[in-house]
Amino acid sequence: MHTASSVEQTAPQPWYKYGVGFLILEMAAAITVSIYSLYMTFHGIGGFPGKH
Amino acid sequence: MATHKVEQLIIATVGFFWCFLMWFSTAAFSPSIAAHYHLGIKALGLLASSAIWMAPIGRILAGWAADRFGAPRTFACILAGCGLMSIASAFTTDYNLLFAERVLVAVAGVSFVVGIQHVAQWFDAFEIGTAEGLYAGTGNAGAGVGALLLPRLFATDYHTAFLWLGVVALVIAAWYLLRGRAAQSEGQRVLVRRQANLRTTLFVWSRYIAIALMLAYAMSFGLEIALNAWLPGYFTRGFHEAILALGFHGVAGLQIAAGTFAAVCSFNASLFRPFSGFMSDLFQRNNWTPLPFIARRLPYAPRLHWLGLSLMLIVLAMGGLTVAGLAGSLSLSVTALMGLGIFVSFGTGGTFALVPLLFPDRPGTAAGFIGGVSTIGGIIYPLIFAGGADIHTGYARVALFMFLPFVAFYFWAARYERAPEEHGFAAAVFAAEEA
Repeated sequence: MHTASSVEQTAPQPWYKYGVGFLILEMAAAITVSIYSLYMTFHGIGGFPGKH
Repeated sequence: MATHKVEQLIIATVGFFWCFLMWFSTAAFSPSIAAHYHLGIKALGLLASSAIWMAPIGRILAGWAADRFGAPRTFACILAGCGLMSIASAFTTDYNLLFAERVLVAVAGVSFVVGIQHVAQWFDAFEIGTAEGLYAGTGNAGAGVGALLLPRLFATDYHTAFLWLGVVALVIAAWYLLRGRAAQSEGQRVLVRRQANLRTTLFVWSRYIAIALMLAYAMSFGLEIALNAWLPGYFTRGFHEAILALGFHGVAGLQIAAGTFAAVCSFNASLFRPFSGFMSDLFQRNNWTPLPFIARRLPYAPRLHWLGLSLMLIVLAMGGLTVAGLAGSLSLSVTALMGLGIFVSFGTGGTFALVPLLFPDRPGTAAGFIGGVSTIGGIIYPLIFAGGADIHTGYARVALFMFLPFVAFYFWAARYERAPEEHGFAAAVFAAEEA
């Protein structure tokens, strides 16, 4: 598809915006898990979503 | 047959996701297997570590096979072979045979480099970072999803889980074979197939920039798989009192708490990876080259700078994890771990946004070397983490004595302003052969 000497500046293709949308969703999932874990370090078994 | 590059990306991503699910499915059921066969802690450790055994050599061979036979055939073979082995393991009642079968199922982990090669054959240079990031990041998430969902879906019935994992793998293998296309053009396919030989393999292995990228991947993905295995034990031991103070009691309670804190690293390292590929593309589009020493005029120089920044951030985050641990702060450690996970993803995504561009005619061979040898880090780092007098200082030791030299070597190897892939060991031999 490409050679080292033929890297060009090209406008993103239509699929690209959906790819970026999907990666934002993935980041949101990672941040949610992180916030939940951090919340648990303060609240322990009382933390959301409840007692274990 | 008409196809589109997005279809090829989806096939590769689904295949890799399922392979990752199979790769770590043994770990998800290790408590059940241990209880069923009355395994001790050493046998359990051996079972856990066996998942990585096949990765270094397996990925090297798989990368070569992807170049030689094409990604669809190679990926379908891996899926079908591992799927059949998983089905066989579902009916096994002898532990030694089960252990051997699960080691073979773990071969699924080598599929990473095949998909990298496949995606590289379909996407253009200006979008390769995001495409490879979406493939690898979404696929890597299979490990976390498996750890969360498999025990909830199948409880302790790992036999049924292994059976269904194998059956679905066979279905995906058939799909990959039917709809997968090795490259966008026949010319590209022929060129790559012609390069799949011992000489080009030795050429890639001896390039300074390939070695630098392999070390960069050892600092990122090697560290990621090491932390997956190490962190639950680290939190259980290093923050024992703090976890008890939060109200978690007994082995089950400690496991839940430690597993939840450890998951921060795994989730961020996997799910931020596509973002890293996007950032690599962004650096490229804006021609950002902020670092000293690293080449500025190469067509992909901005991507080299993004990876250089990522590697420095990993070193800093490792120091931060040690400081947080020595301070005895559980919250600070989880925060540092979140940062480390994100920076690890920057490293993994940044590395494989470069590999197909540096070795466009040998993508599988290069991905096999860089993605394969680097996994040895997953075996070495936990030994260093556990080797010191204080459980918290291992991260700083690895950062100082391994990662800093790796980063220095990367800066040195990435300094060439023309064709860095031409510089390496035995340069005279390869130059003479070319002549």
